[in-house]
Amino acid sequence: MNQFVFADPNLCIGCTTCTIACVISHQQGSDYELTEKSFVPRLTVIKNLDVSTPVLCRQCDDAPCAQVCPNNAIISEDNHIKVIQERCIGCKTCVVACPYGAMTVVTTTVAKGAESSLFKAEKQTSQALKCDLCAHSDDGPACVRVCPTNALRLVTSEDLDQMNKKKQLAAASAAGDVISFEYF
Amino acid sequence: MSNAITEIKDAKCLLIFGYNAGDSHPIVAKHILQAKANGAKIIVCDPRKIESARVADKWLQMKNGSNMALVNALANTIFAENLQDQAYIDKYTDGLEEYKKIISTYTPESVATITGLAPEDIRSVARLYATASESMILWGMGVTQYGQAVDVVKGLASLALITGNFGRRGVGCGPVRGQNNVQGTCDIGMLPNIYPGYQKVTNDAVREKFENKWGVSLSPNEGYKLTQMNHLVHDGKMKAYYIFGEDPAQTEADLAAFREMMGKLDLVIVQDIFMTQTAAMADVIFPATSWGEHEGVFSCADRGFQRFNKAINPPEGTKVDWKIFSLMATAMGYPMSYENTKEIWDEIRSLCPEYAGATYEKMEGLKSVQWPCTDEGDHDLGTSFLFEGNKFTTENGRGQLFASEWRPPQEIPDRDYPLVLSTVREVGHYSCRSMTGNCSALQTLADEPGYVQMHPLDAKSHGIKDQQLLWISSRRGKVITRANYNERINIGAVYMTYQWWIGACNELTIENLDPITGTPEYKYCAVKVEKIDDQSWAENHVQVEYSALRNKLRDVAKG
Amino acid sequence: MEKTLTVCPYCGTGCKLNLLTENGKVVGAEAANGRTNEGELCLKGYYGWDFLNDTNLLVPRLKSPMIRREKSGKLEKVSWDEAIEFASSRLSSIKANFGSDAIMTTGCARGAGNEANFVMQKFARAVIGTNNVDHCARV
Repeated sequence: MNQFVFADPNLCIGCTTCTIACVISHQQGSDYELTEKSFVPRLTVIKNLDVSTPVLCRQCDDAPCAQVCPNNAIISEDNHIKVIQERCIGCKTCVVACPYGAMTVVTTTVAKGAESSLFKAEKQTSQALKCDLCAHSDDGPACVRVCPTNALRLVTSEDLDQMNKKKQLAAASAAGDVISFEYF
Repeated sequence: MSNAITEIKDAKCLLIFGYNAGDSHPIVAKHILQAKANGAKIIVCDPRKIESARVADKWLQMKNGSNMALVNALANTIFAENLQDQAYIDKYTDGLEEYKKIISTYTPESVATITGLAPEDIRSVARLYATASESMILWGMGVTQYGQAVDVVKGLASLALITGNFGRRGVGCGPVRGQNNVQGTCDIGMLPNIYPGYQKVTNDAVREKFENKWGVSLSPNEGYKLTQMNHLVHDGKMKAYYIFGEDPAQTEADLAAFREMMGKLDLVIVQDIFMTQTAAMADVIFPATSWGEHEGVFSCADRGFQRFNKAINPPEGTKVDWKIFSLMATAMGYPMSYENTKEIWDEIRSLCPEYAGATYEKMEGLKSVQWPCTDEGDHDLGTSFLFEGNKFTTENGRGQLFASEWRPPQEIPDRDYPLVLSTVREVGHYSCRSMTGNCSALQTLADEPGYVQMHPLDAKSHGIKDQQLLWISSRRGKVITRANYNERINIGAVYMTYQWWIGACNELTIENLDPITGTPEYKYCAVKVEKIDDQSWAENHVQVEYSALRNKLRDVAKG
Repeated sequence: MEKTLTVCPYCGTGCKLNLLTENGKVVGAEAANGRTNEGELCLKGYYGWDFLNDTNLLVPRLKSPMIRREKSGKLEKVSWDEAIEFASSRLSSIKANFGSDAIMTTGCARGAGNEANFVMQKFARAVIGTNNVDHCARV
């Protein structure tokens, strides 16, 4: 089963520390310089009347984004859904397919050909950006690490098993409180 | 704060009044969440559905500018339902009769129109607060930035007194201070009426102590407040202004009036790390070292002295602040020199009994000392909560109960200016933005011209779409800003954060001062919004103005 | 990489953090286990340090004393000696002509620290001779 990062809306205070941590964790190179264009967090802090919470990829095991990708750029590997950026053609079908709004396609223009070339050409290059659990880092997801209220967690299959056991225990005790077959 | 930040989680009831921890102090918000996890009841009194309101047991969405009326009605309910701690009141407080006389007329029904609250909601909050075993009040600028501010502060403290919520862990009153060392500037006597250590300049014995230490005679008169400057300059009584590490050209209310005043001064000295808008108006600029480049002691909001250290070397050409003052003092005929901050700190300790025991050694590493700390011995590690044994810092040691009649804000919305403007904080920026605006990530997260938070219904009634640029104006100024649809905002009010140059809300704010603190009414003035049809012109206008301002400051800095 | 334990300069909570430096430049910040922050920081604590590397994103750093000789003139860079002489002689003459109370001073509630503020109010009270000392607590 894939792991995923999940936030508890009751603990989130909407401070967006996770947003910056995400961008910085995915910086190319060590330079600490950001521009509006390069500021593409893979999570979005949503605030409406009742809820504040970051929304990000759930790493669906049956990933709809991977299913619809025409170029097989999205695969399941290392406990999460991964984009092979070299294969991305920027078609945005994954953006449409994702039920969480967790996919962003960014297209940038880069210069093609050697610096001195007489015929400089420009080329469009696309990337489908989504949460990759900070697989490049030994410390795990940066958002989880920095969240000041510990609202964000990395959920594993063991966590889900534990969660289920707790709920099953609670359900069993509740049933014991209200149901007795003597009366049937 | 009477009690430590770390005691928030010991409270059984938190009354959060005009204080948005989620945006202004995220780490305090964490303590509030811990209190909730420990079973505390959370009450939030705020016109906006702020983060704490979202998780509160009770949220009172009061109208802007109704603080005093609500505080009085809470007190009224506590007595009406006999929930007060009468034994505590009798033993430790004065002024009950006068207090009751005022609050007696403030029944929850009588303030329903002013506050916009259902009487039963006020009553249930009063019950929660008065019956919990430990109740703590936290407040912020939503209380202090009104023309009626000190009255409300005293009113809130009186709620704590009538319910016996002082002098123990997890109770008391917490004004959570905004800037990192604003507690410190108060502690260290950066006020016209007190020396360091909250010792009155008008007290002869105190003054004599300072005169002996410093070897000069000192003025026995209280000084002027910053907010009196405008009038003094216009009357020709004030000629020079030495500004240390602040940017009043961004942060003062009614900026047009401020700029006019600056132009009339004979001499303006600015000591800062950045070429701010204020520095650009100066006659003398002293370039100082920054946080990270020097060391010293800060006071955090709960009276905690903590040492900060030097991490990197300052740029060539800058000097440490205290060395600049020493050079100035020496040049003016009073030789002054210090070796290091420890020597200065030891002089402070020798003059202030409340801090006498807070040595540099006790603040080594992660350690923190909350004043009062009166003894150098290792047994005295400071004070987590004040007023132990319910001895108060009043003249007779008893708590003084206080209530005041509610006064409406000065500038009420009308047909021409139908909306209330309240100025608030941006989570990713700090003060005038000269530091955070130079930080890549924070700058990218939120940039010019900033936002005006509006309820979608208010915006739509003006034909304004989310994220569109718009004009916002008051009787004092007009600026361009961006609409931010926000369902958490109360209808009829709009909110702007105060660090933007283009969308500078202080071009609009009013100088209605609290009579005691002289704090302007940043939280209430009347404004109107206007749709801009040509959005591409507006976007371009913002960029052009922004570049022009940046380039102007860069040009001035070149000399 | 070196670590320097310090206190966050951004709000009244008083969070302890480590500034990480390499070759005299700040390269990061990490949370320390201070009394009030218990090992946590918010976005300003984690990402609010790169102004120290003179990014010049918004406003330029001041690196030289400057004076404006005439009210209508522009600010020009001068030596420390000249700036101190210029400022102190003008303050002295205002004090002589209009009295100590014609000079206002305001302190810094931000990164300067308690010691710097103490020396400033001492300068105002003992040298200028006024209690006109205030700060932006109200903002």
